[in-house]
Amino acid sequence: MATVSRAWRWALPLLAAGAAGLAGCGYSSPPSGAGQSASVNLSLSTVPTVRSVTVSPATASFSGCTGGKALANTQSTPTKLGFPNGRCWVGALGGTFPITITNTGIASNIDVNGASAVPSDDITEWSLCNIGDNPAAPCTGRSNDLPGTDQYLVQNFGPYGENSSGLTDDPQCDHEFDSNGHCWAMQGAFQTEGIELTGPLQSTDNSTKWTVTITWTPVP
Amino acid sequence: MSVNALYRAVLVGAQGLVMHLRLWPSVPLAVLALLAIPATADASIGVGIQAGPVLLSGAAHPGGSYALTPVYVVNTGTQPETIALRVERISPGRGMTVPASWIRAPGPAVTLSHNQSARVPLELAVPDTARPGQYFSDVVARGSAGIAAGGADLAVAAATDLEFRVAPGQVSGSWLSLPGWLLPGVAGLLVLAVAAFVIRGSGLRVRLERGPASTSAEGQ
Repeated sequence: MATVSRAWRWALPLLAAGAAGLAGCGYSSPPSGAGQSASVNLSLSTVPTVRSVTVSPATASFSGCTGGKALANTQSTPTKLGFPNGRCWVGALGGTFPITITNTGIASNIDVNGASAVPSDDITEWSLCNIGDNPAAPCTGRSNDLPGTDQYLVQNFGPYGENSSGLTDDPQCDHEFDSNGHCWAMQGAFQTEGIELTGPLQSTDNSTKWTVTITWTPVP
Repeated sequence: MSVNALYRAVLVGAQGLVMHLRLWPSVPLAVLALLAIPATADASIGVGIQAGPVLLSGAAHPGGSYALTPVYVVNTGTQPETIALRVERISPGRGMTVPASWIRAPGPAVTLSHNQSARVPLELAVPDTARPGQYFSDVVARGSAGIAAGGADLAVAAATDLEFRVAPGQVSGSWLSLPGWLLPGVAGLLVLAVAAFVIRGSGLRVRLERGPASTSAEGQ
């Protein structure tokens, strides 16, 4: 009578389990007569979960420039910034807001920031400065209310008023987006804004073309 | 109606017809101009990013490199955009700030047309000297296409959270990072061990014996 030794009794299941494990498949066909499984495919739609913003300016330009010093022949012209501390506008404080910022994604805080002004010769930039209480980068001009040498001040404004302290390099809540001083915007909410720029006391760079960039960012 | 009056009427009619014919070539130009006006007025820039945070499954370890889930970005403006990702701390959240140098986008910046989207891969490289703990920052998608409003360039960006944890201890290799030959090698050794065990238990012996030639000679 053929008998299986004790070692075989242990080894056979071990071999079978090992083979199945190594093969990586434990498939076995269903027993005959088992019920057929059935499934239903259901499709589910969800709302978009994208955070986005769109900016669409109407035709606009820095205009209405004022200030500067006529005796030094550095007075502003309507479209050119003069020194010292000339001012130019895109739009008009209290009435014209040519830039439209729309929250095209889910509800978010809308932040805004500026950046250093870059001259066409790319040598000496103007850095952003701020005024008012606790300025991030204090303006060093007259009474700390005006930009100093190689500084400039950018203030965005809208129907709710003007950003009194000015934009910074880092994104900050765009209070023009909310009459309560916040910047929470629901999907589809938009704001129209303008920009006021105050130039430096003097510029060490002789370029007459400068690039100023303002960025809007929706954040969680 | 007199003959003269009739003649004048015909003449005026003919002149009108001639004027109409002269105007015909300018009609397509006028249509093109009309089409171009809304296109210019509606020009916009826009960037979107996934609202869900960028996470790492499991904890990171000092000295380890990890692939983060690819980040979804979309161009929501009408202008083509080249979108680049970078790490900044903008939104409020708990944890240490992620140094920008830890995050790398292995591929180039993506260029997207209107409403086009892409998933951008990101890699996290944790230096050996990283402090264990929770890290938090934002992944910011920034569009390169500025849109000019006078002398100002307007730009857009969109942010989403970046969160992960660095656990103490140097990086330990995962199963997937083991050399490819290791698993088959271990499996082969296991099979050999089982075979040896089975042969030993079955009683099969290989015996070496000296031949009985000299003994039989003595007996005879």
